[in-house]
Amino acid sequence: MFRLALNMLFGDRAKLAMLLCGLAFSALLMAQQTSVFFGIMSWTYTPVVNIRAHVWVSDPMVEQANDAKPMRDTELGRVRSVDGVAWAAPLHTSFLQARMVDGNFKLITLVGIDADTFAGAPAQLTQGRIEDLRLPNTVIVDEWGAQLMGKSVKGPDGKMQTVALKPGDVFEINDIEARIVGICKVRRAFTGGPFVYTTYDRAKTYTLGARRTLSFMLAEPAPGITPSELCERIERETGLKAWTSDTVIWDWSDRSLARNTFWWFWKNTGIPFSFGTAVALGLFVGIAISGQTFYSFVLENLKYFAAIKAMGASMRVLAGMLIIQAVTAGLIGFGLGAGMAQAIGRVMIEKGMPPFVMFPQILIATLVLTMGISIVSAIIGIVKVSRVDAATVFRG
Amino acid sequence: MSKAHDIAVTTHGVDISFGTGETKVTALQQTEFTARRGELIMLVGPSGCGKTTLLSVIAGTLKPDSGTVEVFGQRLDKMNQAELTAFRRKHLGFVFQSFNLIPTLSVVENVMVPLLIQGISNDEARRRSIAILEKVGLKGREDGKPNALSGGQQQRVAIARALVHEPPLLICDEPTSALDKDTGAQIMEMVRELSRSPDRCVVVVTHDFRIFRFADRIAEMEDGRISRVVDDPLSITQQNF
Repeated sequence: MFRLALNMLFGDRAKLAMLLCGLAFSALLMAQQTSVFFGIMSWTYTPVVNIRAHVWVSDPMVEQANDAKPMRDTELGRVRSVDGVAWAAPLHTSFLQARMVDGNFKLITLVGIDADTFAGAPAQLTQGRIEDLRLPNTVIVDEWGAQLMGKSVKGPDGKMQTVALKPGDVFEINDIEARIVGICKVRRAFTGGPFVYTTYDRAKTYTLGARRTLSFMLAEPAPGITPSELCERIERETGLKAWTSDTVIWDWSDRSLARNTFWWFWKNTGIPFSFGTAVALGLFVGIAISGQTFYSFVLENLKYFAAIKAMGASMRVLAGMLIIQAVTAGLIGFGLGAGMAQAIGRVMIEKGMPPFVMFPQILIATLVLTMGISIVSAIIGIVKVSRVDAATVFRG
Repeated sequence: MSKAHDIAVTTHGVDISFGTGETKVTALQQTEFTARRGELIMLVGPSGCGKTTLLSVIAGTLKPDSGTVEVFGQRLDKMNQAELTAFRRKHLGFVFQSFNLIPTLSVVENVMVPLLIQGISNDEARRRSIAILEKVGLKGREDGKPNALSGGQQQRVAIARALVHEPPLLICDEPTSALDKDTGAQIMEMVRELSRSPDRCVVVVTHDFRIFRFADRIAEMEDGRISRVVDDPLSITQQNF
């Protein structure tokens, strides 16, 4: 009977198309919006991803990666003295205004890294060499920043166009020259400004000699010691806060800086609510369209279900038929919706905007919700069919 | 007088009414009806006389308010819904007035439905359905859709569907009302021929006096009761009906 149930479903192509549209749209909205949401949320812990240290050390009051509470430089010595620390390097991060050659100001994220070890340096330079940061007044800018801070020039067609910054170009931070010696490729941050890398000491100059400039310390565990163990030791011996760099937000370790950053934004911003609203909207639209369409499919077939009932089909068989129909439509709708979300995601990833991260968990949740919509639709149909009197088949 | 083992269907003192208070309508009152094995009996009478209600009671799709209903020795009035469903599955075949063929299924799939409901495998159901479709003259039309067939052909599919699982009781509700005279006669010929078996009983509800001649007996209904049973169908004409 279940094969016939599927044939009944596929035989009514107009209804099926409508049903699939509702389910696919719903799955698309849920998967796409959730992926963009997690993409944006993944930007919140971008520093952890870009800087790639095993252990981060911060002021004990720090709650997340973008929340630097500067420490005294002497803290670095205390951390280095902890048993199990192979090495430790300073890291400065701050938000500053950069003044372009044309007089425009742009917000930047200044990252000061240790000039000896280059710990925290970007992993991929597309132009220039990291060693050139040792030259006076030099910086490395990320690709997106190079484009954002680029010069506006008149093109051959007379229209204005932006020419990306390149090694050799100059701008100013707090009236101090910053000469570009390299372009790097890093992940963009939630906080918006492009990353400008320089040495830790020069960062102090750019921040005009602020008294405390040590935002974080990056530490490496000695062989045989895990990052978690090292974090415990550092916290015990220095009273500072130490974090691991795990970026799996589903890992419920309290020591993960990425995870704590993610959930800090989750709790303290309206982002989950606004995206949650869109996801809920997708769910409700899905239930409304699919439920209504499936219900009308059931209504149109009601006299046939009544006939099948009269012929001796039990309610279990009829319910099974409706569930098979709804679940099949749900699976196809999910496939179409998730496929479209993937396709849109690919375009987004290529453009870099908006961020898009489709975890397997998102697909599983979308599948579960789409199946939920289908089951709700099936239940509505089952209720209707259960109430139909088999004797109606004799009433013309 | 019929012997007990010859009786296929019998109702005794059946009452059924719908609605309550001022809207109460009595459909059957103290209805006594008997159909024998091996016969084709027609239920006739004016609209609203209770033919369809009695058919529904015999088919086990409607439970009487009171009275007894016995079909092939089983008391339908004492069965619960699940038992009635199981009874219909095994013992009954239906031919409906409006065919009730599922338009999105092929002809053979429509015929397979009663077999699949019984849990017979898809392959076996298909084989048996194709065989009976051949008997009703629809060989080669198995995989087409019912809507592509004429009214007469659709009713033949319905007959094939009603008989494919070889039920002892065939219930036909106005089987020729949607057909022209010749096609109606052909359909009744087919019903008679295919259902003719010493152990099978065919109950036909009809308004169509042109097919009375295919009946072995005719039971006339009036005001929810069987008013008379005629052994010679040819004695009933349009005028005295």
